[in-house]
Amino acid sequence: MDPMKGVDAASGRRKVSPIQGVRIIFQRETSAYFDSSIATIYAAVFLVLSSSIFMNSFFLNAAVEMDEYFRTLPFLLVLFIPAITMRSWSEERSQGTIELILTLPVRPFQIILGKYLAALLFYLAVLAGSLPIAFMLLWLGRPDLKLIASSYLGAAFLGSFFLALGIFLSGLTREQIVAFVLATFACALFVLSGQEQVVEVLDGLTRGWQLGTWLYESVSVLPHYQSFCRGVIALGDLAYFMLLSACFLILNAVTLRIHKY
Amino acid sequence: MIRVETVTKYYGPLKAVEEVSFEVGRDQIVGFVGPNGAGKSTVLKMLATYLLPTSGRLSVDGFDAVKRPLEVRRRIGYLPGDTPLYQDMRADRFLAFIGKAHGLSGAGLSRRLEAAIEACRLEETLSKRIKECSTGFRKRIGLAASLIHDPEVLLLDEPTHGLDPLQVLAFRELLRKLRPGRAILLSSHVISEVAAVSDGVLIIHNGRLLADGKLAELCQREGLPGSDLEGLFVHLVRKGTGQNMDGNHGSHEGR
Repeated sequence: MDPMKGVDAASGRRKVSPIQGVRIIFQRETSAYFDSSIATIYAAVFLVLSSSIFMNSFFLNAAVEMDEYFRTLPFLLVLFIPAITMRSWSEERSQGTIELILTLPVRPFQIILGKYLAALLFYLAVLAGSLPIAFMLLWLGRPDLKLIASSYLGAAFLGSFFLALGIFLSGLTREQIVAFVLATFACALFVLSGQEQVVEVLDGLTRGWQLGTWLYESVSVLPHYQSFCRGVIALGDLAYFMLLSACFLILNAVTLRIHKY
Repeated sequence: MIRVETVTKYYGPLKAVEEVSFEVGRDQIVGFVGPNGAGKSTVLKMLATYLLPTSGRLSVDGFDAVKRPLEVRRRIGYLPGDTPLYQDMRADRFLAFIGKAHGLSGAGLSRRLEAAIEACRLEETLSKRIKECSTGFRKRIGLAASLIHDPEVLLLDEPTHGLDPLQVLAFRELLRKLRPGRAILLSSHVISEVAAVSDGVLIIHNGRLLADGKLAELCQREGLPGSDLEGLFVHLVRKGTGQNMDGNHGSHEGR
């Protein structure tokens, strides 16, 4: 006897395709982000802060460019991205809804991808909130639009990597604040290891090992992100961000599996 | 429809469930009775594919819960013990989300939403956010979510916890209506609740199944004719037997 017989016919149910599964989770998570007053506050604070820093340098330098905005962006993302991702799995664990979502007929990776894409959409929407700066520059003079577009692409890839990292770390704890601290620390490591002063200090502390240089060359996001900000879109930089993002999403799936034991 | 074969589950060094075996057939309501921490929820979590067993085999409608978890999830309606719900969602949107995740859409989804809402009497809370609903309504929203896709198997963990007496009566009536064509396994630490609705009982204590069968037959076998489920439960726990009543494992199939 075919055990599948009669399952779909009785109630109008259909098997959920992989894309449908991702979309269903994505829709729920997206509405959770955009309905959340806390997320709106984070977004507003991020936009006000990033725009204020830019406007300050804009008035001092009087240059029709967004370089300063994109220079400070990684440091702001170190705090902003963990604020977006901290609830991703931690809230599911603390409220017990992880039991609900993991017993739906949707694969864990579809759930992870749905959550990731929703967080990415929210981040890109907030990032798009800085576009008025570009329009202002366009009104005032002739900014290098290709450079601005390339920098936005870099900011999108940088954010997408930090989101994957933050969602993975959120899966390790049921406490949102712990998830936030872990993700902030991890993102800071990836950013600060690209700072010249940090590299010099670490190299000085580990003479012979050149730890600072090694971190800069192998770990830091800044060299890859700064390529975009110079207008260079290199395959290696794209691969760096995509592979690291994929790596942390896969690690997230592994932690969900371990959770079942 | 539900088959559990010599299932053992460890949480680290702690043995939560030890060699539990039972079956629940179609058109049956079986009550899972035991004190808090006895292992009832762990067995239900394993059947719902949320947890993996350390050893043994669980299957639903012929599908192995470990090897074919998606097929099992399609066939079960699961109400976890704490009734976890997305508190910020509106009740109607939450139910639609669960329905869509089970492959419902369009008119089919609307039809099933109506049926679940009517069955669980949720009309007045639909437009409210779940966090604004009372405990009883939250339980009913969870129950509606477990019914939305018209599942063949229902796994209900403490389904009446938080319900008022009238809601409990309505729930019993609903279960009786749901029985035809389904296998229903419900757990409770309230013995009278299980006795009121179940065709058969499973008594579990310290992770071991002490009894499996119909109440009258179990009482007869234990030399407690006319006793109720509570009496039988206390007798078996005091007796401290490590075997179930059949000596190996019993079955509700076809009884």
